[in-house]
Amino acid sequence: MSNLEIDWTRCDGHGLCAELLPARIARDEWGFPLLAPSAVRDDELIDARRAVALCPALALRLEAR
Amino acid sequence: MTAATLDAPAASTWAIGTPRLLAGLDRYGSLDHTAHLAAHGPLPPTDRARLTALLDAIALAGRGGAGFPFATKVRATPDHGTVIVNGSESEPASRKDRTLLRRTPHLVLDGAIAVAAAVRAKRVTVAVHDDAAAAAIRRAISERHDGRRVRVELVAGGFVAGEARAVRRALDGGPAVPPGRRIHLTQRGTLLSNVETFAQVAVALRLGPHRFRDTGTHAEPGTTLLTVGGAVAHPGVVEVPLGTPLGIVLSAAGAGIPQAVVIGGYHGTWLAPQLNSQLSHSTGLGAGVISVVDGSTCALGELARVTAWLAAQSAQQCGPCRFGLPALARDVAAIMRGADSTAALHHARAVDGRGACHHPDGAARFVTSGLQVLRTEVERHQAHGGCGRPTLGQLAVPA
Repeated sequence: MSNLEIDWTRCDGHGLCAELLPARIARDEWGFPLLAPSAVRDDELIDARRAVALCPALALRLEAR
Repeated sequence: MTAATLDAPAASTWAIGTPRLLAGLDRYGSLDHTAHLAAHGPLPPTDRARLTALLDAIALAGRGGAGFPFATKVRATPDHGTVIVNGSESEPASRKDRTLLRRTPHLVLDGAIAVAAAVRAKRVTVAVHDDAAAAAIRRAISERHDGRRVRVELVAGGFVAGEARAVRRALDGGPAVPPGRRIHLTQRGTLLSNVETFAQVAVALRLGPHRFRDTGTHAEPGTTLLTVGGAVAHPGVVEVPLGTPLGIVLSAAGAGIPQAVVIGGYHGTWLAPQLNSQLSHSTGLGAGVISVVDGSTCALGELARVTAWLAAQSAQQCGPCRFGLPALARDVAAIMRGADSTAALHHARAVDGRGACHHPDGAARFVTSGLQVLRTEVERHQAHGGCGRPTLGQLAVPA
């Protein structure tokens, strides 16, 4: 089981993560990510890893729990 | 009445019941080492096993606001680390830690040095925000023979600068703001707790678990320090048994007829004055700040002022806090002029839990609980565009 986590001190609200993982990440009125509260499912892992790798601010992490 | 009295250099002190931490302060302005020993007696020696057994027996919770079990922290701290006494006290209305540092510094040092001995720490650092506290601790160190490993550091001020990880970062030469990643201080050999926690340890070592439990409640034995302010005749730092009813504290402080009470500071909670509710750390006492708002001031104006101050305290690191808290402050100001609560409640939810530290969560709790307690005031402002009362600043904010 894994969770997406945001380093809020790094996130600039580019929004790429929300485009790559629309089922899991929405954006608030300022463009910052809103995460779904549940753990990342196995079938979402590839997309989640891609979102983590492509975050321009290196603010998104996938943490095992 | 305004809260300006709390800005005086030294807060007055009083107690309900027998004072423990504040013992001797009714006779002395501050306790030098001789007066300290006369008031408290010598400090018994301890080691890791005995200290953790004592801390378990008295269920001591950290007194900086989060209430983490101190025994757990001591257990998790490896040998040869650092003990940090967090004296930053960045909660604006709080004066208890500065009072301990300035007026009974040896009690704080006793606790810190005993804990350091138990975990075989290499060093004790007392981190403070103000010169008077630093001078008092330096003087106290020079009066004792066991203070060689203790140093005093002045660290930057600011509300979020008092957060544990921000203090550690500032002491390491970094910026005094919380880091973005979760870090466990104890695993890195740092045992950090609030000033009062160490003073409680010094009291507990002398009393032993049974006498320590003579006062307070079963779940939370002993006493706690409060900083009582706002619309009261006798503001100051007060030592009370845990479990004391709020009404007893308010009448002893000379509060008139409260409109609302803010418990736990500006990350805390607005309450309707329920006079029989018992003060406890498990129900939001936080760092012990109790601020009274009476009927002579515009309570929504007080809420708006503090919310604007909280927005200004953002370290500007995290987007939801940086943009969300100013939006929240504008919403609350609009409510004062007659808007409804919808936008403010929406923005409070929008910032909650979305930052590197708990500043946005605390601000959200402050505003949400305030609007709940003041809902008839919100309706009155909606109906009349105001309440006709001035905002007196009973909830003090730093200039």
